[in-house]
Amino acid sequence: MALSIPLSLLVLWEVFSQTSILSPRYFPPPTLVAATLTRLLAGGDLWGETLVTLNRLAIAFVLAAAPGVPAGLAMGLFRPVRYAIEPYLALLYPLPKIALLPLLLIVLGVGEKAFILTGAISAFFQIVISTLGGVQTMDPRLLEVGRNYGARGIALFRKVILPATLPAILTGLRLGLGLALIAVIAVEFVTAKSGLGHLVFRYWQMLLTAEMFAAFVLVGLIGLAFTRGLRALQRRTLAWKEEIGWQ
Amino acid sequence: MSWIAVASPLLLLVGWEIASATGLLRAVFFPRPTTVAEHFLRLVVDGSLPHHGGVTVMRVAWTVLLATPPAVAVGLAMGISRRTREGLDPLFAVIYPIPSVLFLPLISFLLRSAEAALVVTGAITPFFLVAYTTMTGVQQLDRTVLEAATHYGARGWRLFLKVLLPGTLPFIFTGLRLGLGYALIVLIAVEMVSARDGLGALLWLSWGILKVEEMYAALVAIALLGAFLTWGLGLLRARLLPWVEDVAGTAR
Repeated sequence: MALSIPLSLLVLWEVFSQTSILSPRYFPPPTLVAATLTRLLAGGDLWGETLVTLNRLAIAFVLAAAPGVPAGLAMGLFRPVRYAIEPYLALLYPLPKIALLPLLLIVLGVGEKAFILTGAISAFFQIVISTLGGVQTMDPRLLEVGRNYGARGIALFRKVILPATLPAILTGLRLGLGLALIAVIAVEFVTAKSGLGHLVFRYWQMLLTAEMFAAFVLVGLIGLAFTRGLRALQRRTLAWKEEIGWQ
Repeated sequence: MSWIAVASPLLLLVGWEIASATGLLRAVFFPRPTTVAEHFLRLVVDGSLPHHGGVTVMRVAWTVLLATPPAVAVGLAMGISRRTREGLDPLFAVIYPIPSVLFLPLISFLLRSAEAALVVTGAITPFFLVAYTTMTGVQQLDRTVLEAATHYGARGWRLFLKVLLPGTLPFIFTGLRLGLGYALIVLIAVEMVSARDGLGALLWLSWGILKVEEMYAALVAIALLGAFLTWGLGLLRARLLPWVEDVAGTAR
C-alpha cells in the first residue's frame, strides 16, 4: 500500500513514454532505464565511477569531521576560542561552499585535492555549528551534578559533556555528509571528468537519456542507502534518545 | 572579551595584506585584500556586480516563490492525513537525498526556457524541506486547539488562516531558512555550469580567464549575499513571529 503512489507514477510514466505522450527520447520508459542500469552495472563502468564518487566523499568527510568536532567542542567550552572563530563562521557558514571551487582550483591546481577540499569545507562548517549548538544547549544542571560528584577536566568531558552533546554531533555529521555529497556531485557535474555527477552531465550532453536516468537513479539509491543507514546508526548509538528529527 | 571578535578577522586581513605585499603569499593567487576591495568597487561602479547580483537575487526570490506555496500545501496535507503521508513518504525518501544539481538535465528537458529550468532546479530542495517542516509543524499542533477551533465553526480556509498557518509558521520558516541555504548552493553551481549571468557565472567566467581579482570580488559578493539572506530572513521572522524562538530542533 505504501508504495502505491510511486508505483502508479512509474506506471503512468511508462505508459506515457511508450505511447509518446511524453517524448521517449527525453523521458525513456522506466523499464528501459532499469534495463540500461542493469546493463551498465554488469558492464562494470558504473561501478568505477561510483567508487570514484564514494572515495571522494569518504576523504572529504574525514577531512571535515576530524577537525570539525574538536573545533565545535572547543568553541562551546572556551569562550575566547568562540569569539575568535565566530566572525568567520558567521560569514562563511551561509556561503555556498561550491563558490570556493574556483579559488581552490587556482591554489591547488585542477585536480582531486581541489574537488575533495570543496566537499570537506562544505561539511566542516555544518559539523562545527551542530557540535557548538550541542554544547551550548546542554543542560547546565548536568555539568553541576557532574562537578558535585567530583568530575573534573577529562573525566567531566568524557562522562558528562561528550554524552550530552553526542546527539548534536551525530546530527552534524549526518548533515555534513549530506552537504559533502551535494558538493562532490556538484563539483563533478561542473568540472571533474569522473564520478557519478560527471556521468550524468556527460550523458546529458550526449543526449544518452536512458543512461542519464540510470546514473540518476543510482545516485538516488546511494542517497537512500546513506540516509537510512545513518538514521539506523544514530538510533542505535543513541538508544536513550527519542526520535531525533525527520531529515 | 568580544574585542576578539573584531580583532581576529582584522588581524587576518592585515596579515594577508602584508604577506601578499611582501611576496610571502603569491599575489597572483592571493591578491591583497585592498586590491580585491578596489576591484569590488570598480565592478560595483561599472554596473557588472549590481547586474549579476540582481540576477542571482531574482533567481533566489523565484525559487522561494515557486517552492513555498506547493510545499506548504503538501506539508499540510501530509500532516493532516495519514494516508497522504504514507503515500508520499517513499517518493520523498528516494528523491530528497538526490543532490538537486542533477535535476538540471531532467528539468531542462521538460522546460524549454533555460532560465526556468535553472530556477526550478534550485526550488527542489527548498520544496522538500518546507514540506517536511510544515508536516512536522502540523503534527505538533495542540489537538485541543484544533478541536476548539472546529467547535467554534472554523472550517476550510478559516481553519487554515486562523489556526493551521499561525501554528505551523515557525516550522515553515525553519524550512525556508534551511531551504534558502541549499537553494543558494544549487543556484550558484547551476549558474557556474550553464548560465551567462548571475554571480556564479561571473565567478566561473573570471576564473576561466584567470581574472583572479574579479573572482575574489565575485566570491565576496556571494558571501555577502548568503549572509544578507540569513540576516534578512531572521529579521522577517522576528517581525512575523515575535512569540517564538527558531525551532531549530525540527531540522536536526
